[in-house]
Amino acid sequence: MRGVIRALAVPVWRTLPWRTLGAAGAVGLLIPGLPRLSGAEPAGWVTLLLLRAAALVLGLGLAFLLDDPARPGTTPVPTGRAVRTALRVALVAPLAAVWWTAVLLLVPGAHRPPTGDVTLEAGAACALALALAGLAVRHSEDPHPGRPAATALLAAALFAPLLLPDDWPLFVPAGDPRWDTAHDHWAWLLAAAGTIWLLTLHEPLRRLFRRRSPRPRRSG
Amino acid sequence: MTAPVREKEAQAALAAPGTPRAAVLALALFEARRLLRRLPVLLALVGYTTWLVWHNVQPWDEFPVLQDADRATQGGPLFVALAALLCANQAVLRSRRRDTERHFEVLALSRGQRTAAHALSVVPLALLVAVGVVAQFTWEAVKPGAIGHGSPAELLVGPLTVLLFGALGVLLARLVPSAVAAPLLVVVFFLMFVGAAFPFAGETGTAWLAPVVGTASKYPFPSGLLGRPAAWHALYLAGLALTAVLLSGSRGRRVQAAVAAALAVTVLGGAAQTRDVPEATAAARQRASLTPEKEQTCLRRGTSEYCAFPEWAPRTADWERVVRGVQSLAGGPAQGQRLLVRQRLEARYGLDVDSALPPATTPGQVTVGTAWGGNRVPEFSTAVAAVLVAGDEKAAAGVCDGRMVTVMWLSLAWQDDPEAQLRHVRLDDSLSGEAIVLSPTDPLTMTAGQTEVVRALLERPLPSVVGRVKAHWAELTSPKITTARAAELLGVHAKVGPDRCEA
Repeated sequence: MRGVIRALAVPVWRTLPWRTLGAAGAVGLLIPGLPRLSGAEPAGWVTLLLLRAAALVLGLGLAFLLDDPARPGTTPVPTGRAVRTALRVALVAPLAAVWWTAVLLLVPGAHRPPTGDVTLEAGAACALALALAGLAVRHSEDPHPGRPAATALLAAALFAPLLLPDDWPLFVPAGDPRWDTAHDHWAWLLAAAGTIWLLTLHEPLRRLFRRRSPRPRRSG
Repeated sequence: MTAPVREKEAQAALAAPGTPRAAVLALALFEARRLLRRLPVLLALVGYTTWLVWHNVQPWDEFPVLQDADRATQGGPLFVALAALLCANQAVLRSRRRDTERHFEVLALSRGQRTAAHALSVVPLALLVAVGVVAQFTWEAVKPGAIGHGSPAELLVGPLTVLLFGALGVLLARLVPSAVAAPLLVVVFFLMFVGAAFPFAGETGTAWLAPVVGTASKYPFPSGLLGRPAAWHALYLAGLALTAVLLSGSRGRRVQAAVAAALAVTVLGGAAQTRDVPEATAAARQRASLTPEKEQTCLRRGTSEYCAFPEWAPRTADWERVVRGVQSLAGGPAQGQRLLVRQRLEARYGLDVDSALPPATTPGQVTVGTAWGGNRVPEFSTAVAAVLVAGDEKAAAGVCDGRMVTVMWLSLAWQDDPEAQLRHVRLDDSLSGEAIVLSPTDPLTMTAGQTEVVRALLERPLPSVVGRVKAHWAELTSPKITTARAAELLGVHAKVGPDRCEA
């Protein structure tokens, strides 16, 4: 197995969607970076908003992680999808961690919300992105499952603050008495998204939604 | 050949199948149908409809001011606009994703014409939003308490934002053919235009570069004093949308000329809207704040006179109802006293500045603000009662003795559910203890003892209290009376502490 991973590491590294990840990374750095560069001192709630937006941008980038233009060619290889997907995530994870640290450092320390809790939120967003991408891979033959996954993540992120009931807080401002409860919820979300992602790792034994191939028309 | 046939032929010549124009329209219709069936757009439309219903069915907003109500239609369509950006972008990229771009190259429609069709496909969505905007504004305008004038340019902002964002989505797909670009732009736009992280703020200047500039006014202004460059802003948005569409199209000479024209319109609108408040408006604001009597129309209703800015003239009937209610409970000369109710506002510091009005010193003059409904009614009632008891607003703000009991009882007793109104008119919404009582100008103060006496009076049957108040009117309104004495005169046995003047 170790040999397989060593052999796969370089080709998988090369096929990662670097442009997409790079674009998301750049935008994510600019979101807290621009106010810092312009010398503005954003208030605490703005800082939290910027950090959440950066986390969402990271998630949007990761939603494209499983895009594989060569999917028709890689599907029949003997190494399972689980290994290939896990390898992709493992290759990107250290970079994402370094990137997130940079984002946190870009925010002025005086206004920074609790680092661990915000990182938990970012982790949940990334896990959700990976779970959505995994679901998209599992339920379609599309070599680019990132687009529907990113759309779903974006819609969830923009609509959830409006639709969630008040007694299930998630997007709370810093200093809110419900902050700890909300972060319990974030932890549950992370666990649920992680579980879904793990469940989508393997190739399905039977397809639930098989896309019918068009039958050839009989002529005459 | 009969006339109908000739007409049909003319129509056929207009949009004959095979001409590029008919093909563009057909493609636009097809894309529009697909756009309206996309899940993000449907979600946004459902959200917008829910917002419309929730926003409009608010029982306390029975007295809308239409020059503010037009502006309130602008925020809701932003979500639809973001969905339009995302979905229009994905629609343009579809042919690239499905690898059909090279098949389209051999068709009659050029790339520019296909782009035009994609841009046109956002129009039905913008029309849907326009229906929502008109419905929202009409709902406000037909309320019996509505006053003022809406501005068509302000109403256009919602639909124009949808068009602009859709056009930006199309442009983005032509500039950066990547699926991640639109979601990233949506996040950035959401941060700037919904999340309020737009770097420019304020009432004038660069803040107007944002699509929706909903300067939150603390209280309504007469429409002549608004000073919002709404028409220039609508022109700016339209120019920007057109520029985005033309830039994403072909590079022909005619298109380049059109880009230049659209850009010129955008720059013109953009420059005109970011100027400061016009001098004439600033002067009018100054006049309305300092010498409102020169701008207002006065009406005599009953014994009193009501002076209001012309747009508020219908509202004098509501004010009269309050004055009549308070005076009917008063005794002595106050019962028939001639009051002057004057509307005032502080407009010199702009729409978004909350500045307090100084109390009037003219005897018998009561101030009323530009907002009405909800807590503004008991606040005005308190001001009327305070002027009837203390003589003028300046003196009323200094009342610290037993007269406060008379003032608050007069203010509340004629209203439905006086205890709830007492809670509303107190700053901390309390029903016991010491509290600040709001009025259109300087606030008044109630001690814990006065609160207790007033509540005891409100719990009794009205006629018995009215008789006592009228019988002892002269003593109840004399500046020397203590709260204990007032309670005794009105037959309330309560332990009241010292008054503020005594302490």
